[in-house]
Amino acid sequence: MKTSFKTSLISLLLIITSAFVAKAQDTRIQLGSLDHLASKASQTVDVNVDERLMKLAARLFSDKDEDERQVKKLIEGLKGIYVKSFEFETDGQYAAADLEPIRTQLRGAGWTRMVNVISKKEGNVEVYLQFAGEMINGLAVLATDDKELTVVNIVGPVDLDKLAQLEGQMGIPDLGIESTKSKKKTNEQ
Amino acid sequence: MNDDYLWDKTGEPDPQIQELEEILGALRYEPKPLQLPNELPRQRRNYFPWLAIAAGVLLAILAGGIWLSTRSRDDAPQRQAEVTPLQPVKEVTSSVPKTPERKNESPEEAVAVVHKHRPRPSAPVLSKREREEALMAKEQVMLALRLTTEKLSLVHKKTQNTNPANQIKNQHRVG
Repeated sequence: MKTSFKTSLISLLLIITSAFVAKAQDTRIQLGSLDHLASKASQTVDVNVDERLMKLAARLFSDKDEDERQVKKLIEGLKGIYVKSFEFETDGQYAAADLEPIRTQLRGAGWTRMVNVISKKEGNVEVYLQFAGEMINGLAVLATDDKELTVVNIVGPVDLDKLAQLEGQMGIPDLGIESTKSKKKTNEQ
Repeated sequence: MNDDYLWDKTGEPDPQIQELEEILGALRYEPKPLQLPNELPRQRRNYFPWLAIAAGVLLAILAGGIWLSTRSRDDAPQRQAEVTPLQPVKEVTSSVPKTPERKNESPEEAVAVVHKHRPRPSAPVLSKREREEALMAKEQVMLALRLTTEKLSLVHKKTQNTNPANQIKNQHRVG
């Protein structure tokens, strides 16, 4: 009796542990805590593209067009893109407490804050990355301004080289980032 | 001493053996018919291990359910795609009236046009609903990428401005 009880208890613990490990490895950030801000915002952008939609969208990007091929390459391995962006008419429409649930998630689960830009004119931008070994497994951008709040979460292997290659294409602004590949090439020359 | 009494009860009995016989005689086998009790005592079954296993499985399902619900809270609603059978594509050959420009086309070009409209067997064709969904997803992806790169661009600009090399240069200029 004792043995069977122990076995069932251990199996239960294993199941629960594996569930929590799987949850911990998930780089998806829950953005639901910001939903109430939509009623205050003058403009809201809400992007929810999961893995299935991502694969579906990837099929519409043409292989013949160079720009579209690059975007396709970038999104092919991704598991999701989630964005919530709010623009307000007046200042102080959101509080720091509104961002706390997101910051709590970004403090754990292997996230690392790579950049934190504080600017009085253009607002603050924080860039978080989650690594799986040497690979980037997730990206989160938290941009806050007096009248704007944007949270971007890219789930899956993000290739910053490919992202840099999108500069100035299809309405994507020029990042001014030199990709590591092009760096290597210039070094070889 | 005569031991015959011990073997077959013949001969002179030993008083000690007789005494032992009397004592042990009470335990002698007595053939009796088997008497079963009217109500058999019920053996109490031990359900505890089964209960423990069931509770474990229930808890696991509950944990899994909570995990799945938290994971898919913000997911877009899943819609069932309607799969419509492939429509045979009409080949643009002799049935199409030739326009003045087409008159000048070489036969090779006309064949190329025909091949262009043939469905590719390797890539499954999207249904109308799937295509609409994919178009919306594509727009959303592009919007998300624009926003992401816009913010990263700002970060890049700011980090370039605070480059230590620039600060040194500024210091020289000031000094």
